[in-house]
Amino acid sequence: MRIAPTFNVAYRALRRNKMRSVLTALGIIIGVGAVIAMVGIGNGAKAQVEAQIASLGQNVILIFSGSTTSSGIRTGWGGAGTLKIEDAEAIRREVSGAIGVSEEVVSTTQVAAGNQNWFTRIFGESADYFDIRQWPLSDGAPFTPQDVRSANKVCVIGRTTATQIYGNENSIGQILRIKNVPFTILGVLTPKGLSPQGVDQDDIVIMPYTSAMKRVIGGTTLRNINVQIGDPSQIAAAQQQIISLLRQRHNIRPGRDDDFTVRTQQEIAEAATATSRVMTVLLGAIAGVSLLVGGIGIMNIMLVSVTERTREIGVRMAVGARGNDILTQFLIEAVTLSSVGGIIGIICGIGASALLSTYAHWPTLISIGSIAIAFLFSAAVGVFFGFYPARKAAALDPIEALRYE
Amino acid sequence: MNNGSLVKLIDVHKTYRTGEMEVPAVRGVSLEIKRGEFLALMGASGSGKSTLMNILGCLDRPTSGSYFLDSADVSGLDRDQLADIRNRKIGFVFQSFNLLPRTSARENAELPLVYSTQRLSHAQLRERADRVLASVGLAGREDHPPSQLSGGQQQRVAIARALINDPEVLLADEPTGNLDSRTSVEIMAIFQQLNERGITIIMVTHEQDIAAYAQRNVVMRDGVVVDDRVVPQRSDAATQLEQPLPSTL
Repeated sequence: MRIAPTFNVAYRALRRNKMRSVLTALGIIIGVGAVIAMVGIGNGAKAQVEAQIASLGQNVILIFSGSTTSSGIRTGWGGAGTLKIEDAEAIRREVSGAIGVSEEVVSTTQVAAGNQNWFTRIFGESADYFDIRQWPLSDGAPFTPQDVRSANKVCVIGRTTATQIYGNENSIGQILRIKNVPFTILGVLTPKGLSPQGVDQDDIVIMPYTSAMKRVIGGTTLRNINVQIGDPSQIAAAQQQIISLLRQRHNIRPGRDDDFTVRTQQEIAEAATATSRVMTVLLGAIAGVSLLVGGIGIMNIMLVSVTERTREIGVRMAVGARGNDILTQFLIEAVTLSSVGGIIGIICGIGASALLSTYAHWPTLISIGSIAIAFLFSAAVGVFFGFYPARKAAALDPIEALRYE
Repeated sequence: MNNGSLVKLIDVHKTYRTGEMEVPAVRGVSLEIKRGEFLALMGASGSGKSTLMNILGCLDRPTSGSYFLDSADVSGLDRDQLADIRNRKIGFVFQSFNLLPRTSARENAELPLVYSTQRLSHAQLRERADRVLASVGLAGREDHPPSQLSGGQQQRVAIARALINDPEVLLADEPTGNLDSRTSVEIMAIFQQLNERGITIIMVTHEQDIAAYAQRNVVMRDGVVVDDRVVPQRSDAATQLEQPLPSTL
């Protein structure tokens, strides 16, 4: 049998029942459209989380103090105060591939300038911090290693803090009083937005960690150390090196737990994107159910069609159609319904995602891959749900079929 | 096989099984039909003539016995092989026309070629369909769907469809059953014309006067052939059509 006339036959049969074909295809259109839109939303959310993770900086290893067991009491990350400034210096000195190290101490406190005051987060960092986090300043200049060494009373502030205290005025060179210590503002950071945990990253004051420890927070231990590795392929090796270096420095005997925790940015990213991946799968699965329902619709209509056209099938068999010819004809009909529905569904899905991005401001991301998979899947739905009716048609007895009323 | 023998049935039986019961429909028919014959197969309802017709048309297989069509034994062929035989050697004309609805006369006539092993271009298909439609008097009606054609015209489309593959034999099952008497004569005129051109025709009918247009009448009763004779006074459809009065059938 020739394929071109078979397509023609299928096309004619579909046109003969326009409304029915449109409604059947609608099931697939909605199914595929939903899959495209839902997976787009899921992937968009995932991409957003990944972008936020990337904003932590490139190739970063984070070392937290804590996770120690003393007298059976375990402390959480950053709790035990086991990281010393000397540890950071040792890492800076000995870990190969470390291109930036920043000692970090964190606190929250009230800051004031003129008649304004604001409750914000204070970060003590080294001068490498702005490179590690790839966080440039929009105005002014960062503090220098000299400022760190001398524990100078200088700081840079985030955009939110700047707006809250100074409004639209220029804040550079102004004096900010933190715990009654006057700090000179050297610069304002570019806005970074929300963190993956939903914290406003721009609500911040960053100063040399030495100044923070000496003049604001007190104490002698670090909450964590940020290390940036130049070559991504060396991250795993550097992580091991840091662990053994710190175990040695902290005199931890073999078999005992670390009193610190080392996390690569990769690990943090994986944990954060796991949620959105689950969401993508879940949304896709729910949309997939509607595609399944659409497929059942195709099967239903094809069964009706086979019954209605029993005589036609009989005539075709009488003039020489083989079982396979009939099977092919009905399969093509089903696949045409499902794949045309699939194509329209893809267009609708893209449209729906665009509307969601524009009006609801949901991030959506539609990949060529998900479009291709949706199309192939819709065609497969046609084959799968069209096969049973088509086989039923092909197995008809020509005599019975010709006699069918 | 004898030369000139197109159809040869040797002791053909067909038994249907309904549950535990075995119902014999054809009980030992031997029949030989020569090339170029015009044969009417007659009998009352339940005589087994339709079953025999289905076997002759390769729509069904005999339970036992042999069927030689064009010197080839077709009694043991499978479904697909039978489909090919039907496509190449047999043209069907049915009582209820069995045209595809909402499909033009031309495309209805082309239908067997769609399943043919021949590879014809679209233009060749069209040309052949138009020629065969013209030969049954339907020139100018090629684009009409069945709903816009009279019963007689629809049966002519069906005849055109049966002829398009140059079959060895034309099988007609009560071809005039749904037609008025005048139109019936017209269809018989076409059959006689085709037969004169050398086409073998086997026609099932229960009407004596329709059978009178054939050369040979075979009568069945209770699954066996009870009479097989040459028609003594054959009706000539073309002459009857020339008479101005409505047919006396």
